[in-house]
Amino acid sequence: MTNTDTYAYASRLRSIEPMQKFIFALLTLAICLWANHVIVSVLVIIIMGGCAVWYGGTPLSFYLKLLLIPLAFLLIGTLTIVINISSDSSIFIWSIPIGNTWLGVTQVGLYKGVKLFLRVLGSVACLYFLSLTTPMVDILSVLQRLKLPQLLVEMMSLIYRFIFVLLDTANTIVIAQDSRLGYRNLATGFRSLGSMAANLFIRAYKRSNAIYISLEARGYDGELQVVKESYKSSRCLSVATIGVNLFLIILTLILNRRI
Amino acid sequence: MRESVLKLEDLNFKYPDGTHALKEINMEFKRGEFIALLGSNGAGKSTLLHHLNGIIRPSSGRVLFEGKPVDYSRKGIIALRQAVGMVFQDPDNQLFSASVYQDVSFGAVNLRLPEDEVRRRVEIALERTGIAHLRHKPTHALSFGQKKRAAIAGVLVMEPQVLALDEPTAGLDPKGVTEIMQLLKETQRELGLTVIISTHDIDIVPLHCNRVFVMAEGRNILEGTPQEVFSQSQILRSANLRLPRIGHLMEILKEKDGFAIDDIPMTIAGARKALKKL
Repeated sequence: MTNTDTYAYASRLRSIEPMQKFIFALLTLAICLWANHVIVSVLVIIIMGGCAVWYGGTPLSFYLKLLLIPLAFLLIGTLTIVINISSDSSIFIWSIPIGNTWLGVTQVGLYKGVKLFLRVLGSVACLYFLSLTTPMVDILSVLQRLKLPQLLVEMMSLIYRFIFVLLDTANTIVIAQDSRLGYRNLATGFRSLGSMAANLFIRAYKRSNAIYISLEARGYDGELQVVKESYKSSRCLSVATIGVNLFLIILTLILNRRI
Repeated sequence: MRESVLKLEDLNFKYPDGTHALKEINMEFKRGEFIALLGSNGAGKSTLLHHLNGIIRPSSGRVLFEGKPVDYSRKGIIALRQAVGMVFQDPDNQLFSASVYQDVSFGAVNLRLPEDEVRRRVEIALERTGIAHLRHKPTHALSFGQKKRAAIAGVLVMEPQVLALDEPTAGLDPKGVTEIMQLLKETQRELGLTVIISTHDIDIVPLHCNRVFVMAEGRNILEGTPQEVFSQSQILRSANLRLPRIGHLMEILKEKDGFAIDDIPMTIAGARKALKKL
């Protein structure tokens, strides 16, 4: 499974100062949430998606697949807003009778649902821009600069580094088990899965000891301090950050006051 | 006469579970040597290596660095670990950072060097290990051989005097083995390092090493030049080791087929010379 991080390393926007990309993504995210307007949300999706796909170089097919991930959750969530129960049948645009009440879709509910759906999708698009153009290592260096506790940043960094080792080891164990019919039926499968998980935990524990010894051998004194990477500063991005967001703010104000 | 850089005197080590891993070890490593620590699995090679940079303290006996007993205080350990760099067998245990460049810089940053110096050393180390083109790659995307090089680079940045490697050729393909050994040989020559490798890859030993120590069941049973050590085939076999393939062939030709060979050669070049003389 190719993940967003692989595309982040391949992105054309990879070497831009991560703090700039971070601000761009989060500021636009904030504006999108604050605006709570259908047009603004759609614009955010297009702008952020466009930056990731056309400027960054992420394949469009992959980007669309990524958008499908929150879709299931989103649809269920908005469905509960769109569908209402009321004894007053006149408010519905479409409804079915259940006993004494009516279950259906109201205009207000539909509008609210669509607004929420697009607002969430817009926010997701902002975060996808960040994760598709900025490798995890760079995001962590930004968090560190924002004075997130060093311990937290180090833990995130180690988890990210070793999750691949963990998945790989788990996969190898499962293949070996499968080759000995460990997953021939559901009951056997659960048993195999359980012993795999226990084995994985023990291996992780042993590995963490070995890593500690390795770190000690290179002078570890409690902090995983490394040298910072150097990046390019993009004036284009700074201009875009201010420009896009100013535009969206003004647009929102116009649309809300119906000027 | 080469000066002693590391010395183990009457060293014993027992693991907490009672395993007597090292018994009465007396070994001396001299400056500039390329040393092989031979032994079967469980002979105590890794345990011995861990004594060299203070990861383990002996149960009895002592470790001397440059003639002086190791100072196990905080300052002493820091100085020892700068001077004795250790590369472990599994590079995945050594590369903790997701960025190659940052992982290599770790050792130098811990030496509290100024940033320019750190960057300079990282560049040199990356060039020397031939992975400069991988500096911006994530570590999990590297092949096994590339990870091994990154691990070595991470130790070279500390500019050690001794480079100790635990099974450096384990898991590498034939080309990888040759490349790593060449890298080590060149680095040793250019920097004047003392290199200690623990291995049970017999065939590379006569090609690169000028001193060999053989371990079995926690004891040092044989030491000398590769020629001296490999002439003791009985002792080697009792330690679950063997002669280099070439050496074994030449031994059979000499003893069973009556070929007129003087000193049994251990390398292809040596065998060729001996056979051409016949």
